[in-house]
Amino acid sequence: MNESQSPPSSDVILRVEGLHKSYGDNHVLRGVSMQLCRGETKVIIGPSGTGKSTLLRCVNQLSVPDSGHVWLGDKEITSRYENINHLRAEIGFVFQSFNLFTHLTALANVRLGPMKVKGMKKSAATQLAMEELEQVGLGDKADAYPAELSGGQQQRVSIARALAMSPQLILFDEPTSALDPELIGEVLEVMVNLAKDGMTMLVVSHEMGFARSVSDEIIFMEGGNILEQGPPEDFFTSPREARTREFLSKITELYGE
Amino acid sequence: MRSSCSALKGVGMATIWQSLELMIVKGLPNTILLTLGLIAGGLALGTLIAFTQVYGYRPLRWLCKGYEQLFRGIPVLVLILIFHSGLARSFNIQLPAFVSALIALALRSGAYQSQIFRGAIQSVPQGQMMAARALGMSKTKGILRVILPQAFRLSIPPWTNEFSSVLKDTSIASAISVLELTKQATLSYTRLAVIPGFGAQWTLLILLLVALIYLILTYAGNAALGFLENRLRIPGFETKGRIER
Amino acid sequence: MKRVFLAVFLIGLFAVLGLAQTYDVASDTTWPPFEWADATGNLLGFDLDVMRCIAVLQGYEINIITYDWEIIFDDVGIGRADIGASGATITAERELKVDFSDPYWTSDQAVLIRTDSGLNIVTVLSGGYTVGAQVETTGAVFVQGLIDEGVNVTLQEYTLYPLSVIDLINGNLDAVIQDEPASEASATAQEELTIAGVIRTNENFGFFVAEGDPSGLLPLLNDGLKQLKELGAYDNLVRAYMGTDITKVEAAWVASIGLLDAGDVVAFAASLAELANQ
Repeated sequence: MNESQSPPSSDVILRVEGLHKSYGDNHVLRGVSMQLCRGETKVIIGPSGTGKSTLLRCVNQLSVPDSGHVWLGDKEITSRYENINHLRAEIGFVFQSFNLFTHLTALANVRLGPMKVKGMKKSAATQLAMEELEQVGLGDKADAYPAELSGGQQQRVSIARALAMSPQLILFDEPTSALDPELIGEVLEVMVNLAKDGMTMLVVSHEMGFARSVSDEIIFMEGGNILEQGPPEDFFTSPREARTREFLSKITELYGE
Repeated sequence: MRSSCSALKGVGMATIWQSLELMIVKGLPNTILLTLGLIAGGLALGTLIAFTQVYGYRPLRWLCKGYEQLFRGIPVLVLILIFHSGLARSFNIQLPAFVSALIALALRSGAYQSQIFRGAIQSVPQGQMMAARALGMSKTKGILRVILPQAFRLSIPPWTNEFSSVLKDTSIASAISVLELTKQATLSYTRLAVIPGFGAQWTLLILLLVALIYLILTYAGNAALGFLENRLRIPGFETKGRIER
Repeated sequence: MKRVFLAVFLIGLFAVLGLAQTYDVASDTTWPPFEWADATGNLLGFDLDVMRCIAVLQGYEINIITYDWEIIFDDVGIGRADIGASGATITAERELKVDFSDPYWTSDQAVLIRTDSGLNIVTVLSGGYTVGAQVETTGAVFVQGLIDEGVNVTLQEYTLYPLSVIDLINGNLDAVIQDEPASEASATAQEELTIAGVIRTNENFGFFVAEGDPSGLLPLLNDGLKQLKELGAYDNLVRAYMGTDITKVEAAWVASIGLLDAGDVVAFAASLAELANQ
């Protein structure tokens, strides 16, 4: 809500308006609205259980919101007249637990989407998959199975898998939270490069370093609402809300600067 | 054995050998045919029921559950008799004995196999389907390309159990006169029981021979399935677990 | 003239061929000497050869199939097989399901015991002992009858006769009751067993068909049986099968069956009796 300028609407890739979602008695999302423009990287931070992941899942309808609207470009995802599969193919999703297809090699994982969803021929899909794997630095692991890869490697393959679909934006749901500390770096490096190359990204994460260096805006959520948002320099140096300050001090304790 | 038998020893071995030969040549093919037939039938039924139970609409799911309970709750012999004698007497539908046995056993195996597949499908982590759908795959594609291949591999060990089990169940078909291994064995030992020099004790030997044949069949089947399991093994999957922390 | 004769002959031939019916005969082939399977799978026995002979005499073909004893009356009763030939005693209960032919054999029940048991037919059936019998046989019914009258005896039922004999030999049973020929065969084959005595039950064996005899077979069977007796072949079959060494009978059968295939009932029976008693 603190946008300094309104970008031209053709550049708005993602628009979320008034999302509500409850799980039983738990009202997780209480009217969340935000938007994401082409090339922007926004990072969502906040305490656990505050609806950050739920927000992401509502974007591509892995969770169906109770009310509210989501637009991808000019197509309304929440409308029941739209084909959700087609829209999902335009949105990449990187899971906290990677969710690589365990019965397929890295290469097969990456080319499955292009082949079976986009109808690409096997040779073209294989080539594309190899390129994406190279891009995340795992060209030599093309024939490895997920169980043979480290967590960091699995996550990078998962990013390659998302990239292979040439999505309009990629959603990252705590991509490094399940990784051993020494493996976090390789994944963040890939994400940083993606952001620099102009990919539109919406990231839920605790990695403050990443947030500071690469994001265009930080969004702080608490209690199912967006409490504060702003460019990283402003956000970290002079947060407006008391809760924000409280939260930041807590994580600085845990994560350091 | 008495002294009179030692003279018959040569004849004895020949007779035993003939009995064995008869069991294998006449009885074994039916046992194998019955086993393979009912397993295939059970497979088709089982996968259908399992998928309906996991992904289908509620009334269908309810039907499937009923089917499972029904065919797992009735003893095999009773089931076979229902299809053989029951249908014939009440509805004048006379099925050949082999067919009655095949249908009854296939329906029963289908109920057990559907449990196996359902368990396997539900063992595939939720995240797999989520990732598939996040890519834009329809539910059907997701099931076909992601769930099914994994569920299939997970099914092999319990399925091996089912195979061993049904192989032995085929002997019950002898009750409705199907000439399979066990029935053939009874023809042999009832004859031996009245041959001077042999007698009823030889029943044990014949039965042991039959048991041995069943054992060999079970072992062969398990070995074949074990081979299949190895061929399909995903490197590192079983040993490492899902997520490396 | 020749052409007319040929035409008549051909018509007659086709008529006969057209009339050559095949009937399925159901039999529980686990009961020597009435029906059993030899080492190479041939089905032979008194009942089966009587069937074969009658078939030759009456001009039809038969196909003998092994059926399970416990459901044989059900199966023939509903027409799964055309004729049942399985050492079946004619009883009122069975007549509810099937129709019987004229009796073709009279049998009594024999009681088999261990030679060294020191029992006799009276003591074993009333001294609180355990008697074995095959399920659904008249022997079982007899013992059950004793029990119902309060006699001190226990009945143990078995699906197959040899299983009861095994239990008798190893002491789990004190006696086995079974039709006389089967008991005799056991006693001959095993030195440790003797026939304690015979109970004159005067049972009659009959061949059976579906209720109401839909195929009209009973007249054929009864008439065929009469012919068999008149020809003397019946007596020869009795001589061949009753009280003889089973392996000799089997060999005799293999040697003689060609005669029956050629259509000569008398020669077949004579040869069988001759060779089986050598």
